[in-house]
Amino acid sequence: MTWIHPLSAEVEETVDVLGGKAHGLIVLRRLGLPVPPGFVIGTEACRAYLRTGRLPHGLTAELAAAVAELESVTDRQLGGSERPLAVSVRSGGKVSMPGMMSTVLNLGLTSGATAALADEMGDPRFALDSRLRFLTSFASQVVGVGQESLASVDRAIAGRDGDPGAFETAIREVERLIRERSGEPVPEEAARQLELAVEAVFSSWDTPRARTYRALHDIPGDLGTAVTVQAMVFGNRDEHSGTGVAFSRDPNTGEHVPFGEVLFGRQGEDVVSGTSLTGPLRELADREPAVWARLLTALDQLEEHYRDACYVEFTFEAGELFILQVRPGRFVGRAAVRVAVDLAEAGTIGRDEALLRVSPQHLAQVRTPRITAVDPRNVFTRGLGASPGVAVGRVATTADSAARMAAGGPVVLLRPETSPLDMHGLAAATGVVTARGGPTSHAAVVARAMGKPAVVGATGLTVDAADGCVRAGGRTLPEGTLIAVDGTGGEVVVGEPHVVAAATDPHLHQLLGWADDVASGADGDRDETERLSSAQAVLRGAGQGTPG
Amino acid sequence: MTQPVSSHATSTDLLVLHTLRCIGFSGLSAVAGATGLSESDVESELIDLAVAGLVTRTAGDFGGWGLTDAGRATDAERIAEEVATAGVRPVLTSAFDRFLVLNPELLDLCTAWQTRTVNGAMAMNDHSDSSYDARVLDRFTEFHQRAEPLCTELSAALLRFHRYPVRLADALARARSGALEYLTDSTASYHTVWFQLHEDLLATLGIPRH
Repeated sequence: MTWIHPLSAEVEETVDVLGGKAHGLIVLRRLGLPVPPGFVIGTEACRAYLRTGRLPHGLTAELAAAVAELESVTDRQLGGSERPLAVSVRSGGKVSMPGMMSTVLNLGLTSGATAALADEMGDPRFALDSRLRFLTSFASQVVGVGQESLASVDRAIAGRDGDPGAFETAIREVERLIRERSGEPVPEEAARQLELAVEAVFSSWDTPRARTYRALHDIPGDLGTAVTVQAMVFGNRDEHSGTGVAFSRDPNTGEHVPFGEVLFGRQGEDVVSGTSLTGPLRELADREPAVWARLLTALDQLEEHYRDACYVEFTFEAGELFILQVRPGRFVGRAAVRVAVDLAEAGTIGRDEALLRVSPQHLAQVRTPRITAVDPRNVFTRGLGASPGVAVGRVATTADSAARMAAGGPVVLLRPETSPLDMHGLAAATGVVTARGGPTSHAAVVARAMGKPAVVGATGLTVDAADGCVRAGGRTLPEGTLIAVDGTGGEVVVGEPHVVAAATDPHLHQLLGWADDVASGADGDRDETERLSSAQAVLRGAGQGTPG
Repeated sequence: MTQPVSSHATSTDLLVLHTLRCIGFSGLSAVAGATGLSESDVESELIDLAVAGLVTRTAGDFGGWGLTDAGRATDAERIAEEVATAGVRPVLTSAFDRFLVLNPELLDLCTAWQTRTVNGAMAMNDHSDSSYDARVLDRFTEFHQRAEPLCTELSAALLRFHRYPVRLADALARARSGALEYLTDSTASYHTVWFQLHEDLLATLGIPRH
């Protein structure tokens, strides 16, 4: 049995075996784009593990061989006391289940390897930061140390950034938590760390939360996950290092401009978890022009390959770019319509395909009011849309002031995050913005329950309740300032912006014109969804009738 | 790990003060529902607390009872004392670690109840597909079975936590019998009670919201 496949252009296994993440990495390899070397353990191994509770026969030997190959390619040694190799261990099934499964990073950084890395790079702070990151992910993902126990370690070192003594204290504390929880110290043998991490990723397929997620999203329970193991790229190495996410087009509008976030001097999980302040992707152009140019070329190549908008996760180390994940667009709403129309206009896809790419559900979303044509100078901050609709009102920074101010007209409540103590303010407000949290945060659930537009995770936002103001991007707005919130696109805009619903969207108008060319209705009363659906029915029928 | 042998009962004035601290600005009926006390008992305690300068009542459309700054400080102090006296900090910390494993799952369930993803597009759940709704409701029921042992453990540490399993079970039972607003929408919904439990654990352990 071959359980393990290299991440190379020649691999031909399907996405069922490799999982979506590794499959995308192989596409990147074929296009000659920079991907850290590594290998993938296929989903069959996960299924065997879930059946028997043990790694299947032969996997350990294959794992050792794959690691040896990776060591030879990188000229490094996993856990070595000279030129140490560290790896990332990531889950990735056929169907993406964001945030559900385990990932262990910086694996192989035993205490000896950490010392070797510090010597090699001449930077103990970097090496200790990486070791702490390894221990924290090992503790939470492999050993099951609770979030709160780890968070208290973070709180203890907060504000002592760059102090090696603080890192050493935190490292000892996480080591203690691991011993206390598992009864054993962290293995000093890197190969053993890797085996445990692979088992943890396999097991994470069957956590109650993952099972619930699959049940709710109609994902079969027996697929299992693949495990991708790659040489680490250290976004936390120096000032020419960092990490980010990028879309080839703006996912809010569909406009053909690169869009995303970048975070200098950090590793990828800091972007995804929202624990650090990211900047707009454009900052790369100024600070690392070579990385920026390489990224733009990569996005163009990927668009050409997928014939669609694309999303990538990337890291750059000492000025060198690597792509860690790619997937085609999955844009929704108005952005999906615009991308399909623009691609057809550019001749990348045919009009028929453009019509088939937009689902009628996207049109339903197009009818939701959105803020448009915003002068970029009026964008105060951005977050994630968590409850659709547009709210316009005056800034309130506490629930009490929201309740008080609401007597004089609509109010938008801005908070770091929400607690039950904010409920009366939420009830009084017409819209809500939080600096932290995602679309499944308490704030998002409450806003949807109350039917109020909400933006969450606006990481650039600071709420200063004591001074009665909010700050973002170097700008300060006092309580009472008129702002608008778009709960679909996540924009927070100063003043009262232009708001549109479906009827005035030019790209939608264009698409529906094409739909009518395919299947013109006898009456003019059909709504957008019906016009698109009947065109799709004709096109699908024609497709089925075509031989070959 | 050993379970504490005796439960610590919280005095009524602290129970009312702390409940208001965790559920936020509220009317009498919400405090009564959360504590299990009658509205008149709650009102009498609130008046005493107001005389002591710990709570205050605001009139108007969005009016109700809320803590003063002194009330928040007193609550934090007395609750910390209670935890120390009962010697339950390690038990509560370990329970909170497990709460944090369950919490994202409950939030997933609430989101699945409120929204549906079709062809990659997130839309509000219009509740027209009863088989989907039934599936989510079943998942809530299954979730609750896993949340109950945690609630039992919390109640064994500090008796005042025993209202949470009662209120969660009540919300679920109402939702199952057709009052669907008791999952995420009502002020006594499963999500609302769970959110208050989250706040209570943070307040009880003295963990700051960042």
